[in-house]
Amino acid sequence: MTDFITHAQLRDWLAALGGTHTLIAPRQVTPELVVYQAVHSPDDIAFGFSRAALSPKEFFLPATEAILTVERVRQLAAGDGSAQPDWEVRLAEPGMERDQVVFGIRPCDAHALTALDALLLKDPADAYYARRRERTALIGLACQQMGATCFCTSLGFTPDDRQGMDVMLVATGDGYALDTLTDKGQAITAGLNPADYKGEPPAREWPPAEFKVPPRQVWTRLFKDPYWGELADRCLSCKICAYVCPTCRCFDVRDYTVAQTPAYQKIERLRCWDACMADGYRRIAGGHNPRPDKLERLRNRFYCKFDYYPADFGPLACVGCGRCIDHCPVNVDVTEVLDAVNARS
Amino acid sequence: MIEQIRAKAREILENKTVDLVIGYQLGTRGAVRPAFVYTPDEVDRLVWNEACTHNLAAYLHAKRVPAKRGAPAPRIGLVLKACDGRALNVLLRENQVPREELYLIGVVCQGMQQPAGLQGRSLSQASPSGQLQLRCQACTERVPPAYDVLVGDPAGQKIDAAAQARQGALEQELQRLDGLSAAERRAFWDGEFERCLRCYACRQACPGCYCTECTAEQLDPEWVGIGIAIPEKRFFHTMRAYHLAGRCIGCDECARVCPVGVRLDLLNAWMRREVQRTFGYQAGMDATSPAPLTTFRPDEDLKL
Repeated sequence: MTDFITHAQLRDWLAALGGTHTLIAPRQVTPELVVYQAVHSPDDIAFGFSRAALSPKEFFLPATEAILTVERVRQLAAGDGSAQPDWEVRLAEPGMERDQVVFGIRPCDAHALTALDALLLKDPADAYYARRRERTALIGLACQQMGATCFCTSLGFTPDDRQGMDVMLVATGDGYALDTLTDKGQAITAGLNPADYKGEPPAREWPPAEFKVPPRQVWTRLFKDPYWGELADRCLSCKICAYVCPTCRCFDVRDYTVAQTPAYQKIERLRCWDACMADGYRRIAGGHNPRPDKLERLRNRFYCKFDYYPADFGPLACVGCGRCIDHCPVNVDVTEVLDAVNARS
Repeated sequence: MIEQIRAKAREILENKTVDLVIGYQLGTRGAVRPAFVYTPDEVDRLVWNEACTHNLAAYLHAKRVPAKRGAPAPRIGLVLKACDGRALNVLLRENQVPREELYLIGVVCQGMQQPAGLQGRSLSQASPSGQLQLRCQACTERVPPAYDVLVGDPAGQKIDAAAQARQGALEQELQRLDGLSAAERRAFWDGEFERCLRCYACRQACPGCYCTECTAEQLDPEWVGIGIAIPEKRFFHTMRAYHLAGRCIGCDECARVCPVGVRLDLLNAWMRREVQRTFGYQAGMDATSPAPLTTFRPDEDLKL
């Protein structure tokens, strides 16, 4: 059953959730830029945004996370000098202080989390991602319209799709139609006193699919097509497309000594975003690089999204959010790539 | 102008002066993008308009890699704005590319406009915003410092009074930073770096950043860790700014490509001003002047 809340009720509800949870919401950080951040008051939230420049991916896969902390503390040896000094070793994993609520997540970004689940929650699950997924509730907000570079309808869902949401909101002009979809949603809407939604729940027509994702065998056949070289000519080999992508999830792990004295040592195992577009990403011990040129790296990006990931884990690793199109400095346009691959099939 | 660029590109490809012409072509959704033209019958892809913002000198290193080991490096024809020409001068002075293996199609530039934002796929025309980019507002050059052929009429391109008045915009921003205490300036820059994703787009788009191994990614020694956090980002950006001091020509590609709007244009403008004040030097004005930070003069007294 669909409920109804006013904008004032929404603000009060978010303020209350902020008291018990880490509240993550879209925030206008520069005149041109909306991103998801932890907010402390509904006043910090950008309600009238179209699509944030970055997805809330970093609240599930942080750009930098110490996944293990090791401390070695020297214990005093026996006074007579007979015993070697002893070291006490303490291990710590990162904790989450509070459960999280993400407000205003768009259907494309929720689909992206579902796509990530297929890999990261598959046995053996990624414990750090799994913990954050488990302890985060998603309050979805339907898009009012599709942006110029959006193409979610081509990937099989609409800008008001509820899949993956715990609570779904659709702006109606005077307030929001609210649907509670999961147990997690029940828990966070417990303090809310919504009215019944009068009349038919809002539904609307969306533009039809504009693009077709080519089937896997087409990708396989085109692996050595000269198109990839033409496309890579202008690629700068930066990591923008991967870092703004809600489904790119590659990372690097290294250990760092962050404190060292004769009696104390602290080591952090850092896990940080990395991306296949970078020259060094695929380099291996001895210096060999299986993807040495931009051609191989850029091609890998599209094959990962539309061929390898669906083959290995099920869902496509693209949700049609269009961020890579918006941000690419040299106009590498994934929809143009889909058209080009189809045209060559 | 477009026809002249195409005709010249066709000519130098036909008579084998070059193997490749790098210019601009229409992209999708009203965007303009770098074009790589290898045969005379492709030259009609080339365009020229107020959205040809990319600094094509940044492609020279990648494109001069020979097809086979031992083969000669490809000779390149380059469509060149004034700022791109200054960047090329920096590369020439640093012996990064031999001038005789380039053919420069200089274009008279009226300033590039801010991007209007991408449109739907149905749009196939370029759509400039009508608003000059900040760097172009402050630019006094319309003609590249060197070229083999010049397209466009430099005579009719005087910088008008309105443009002169606009030149103050960047200067005002620098003065605002001047007015801050060191702690406030650091807070300002940390606020900018906070948004940085360490995607390295600024470095990749920069014609002056051509090291085969960047200090920020070197493994042995590892100067900076892989963390995408303030200390590493602060290190990366200040390191890059210092490496570009006296070499940055102010094309502002770093700021244009940044997905989160970090004011790298301002950081580099600050460094350019320091170099100008200290050494009276402006990078890229010619291809031979010794660069202040790589030149030792026993008699030099900077009164610092």
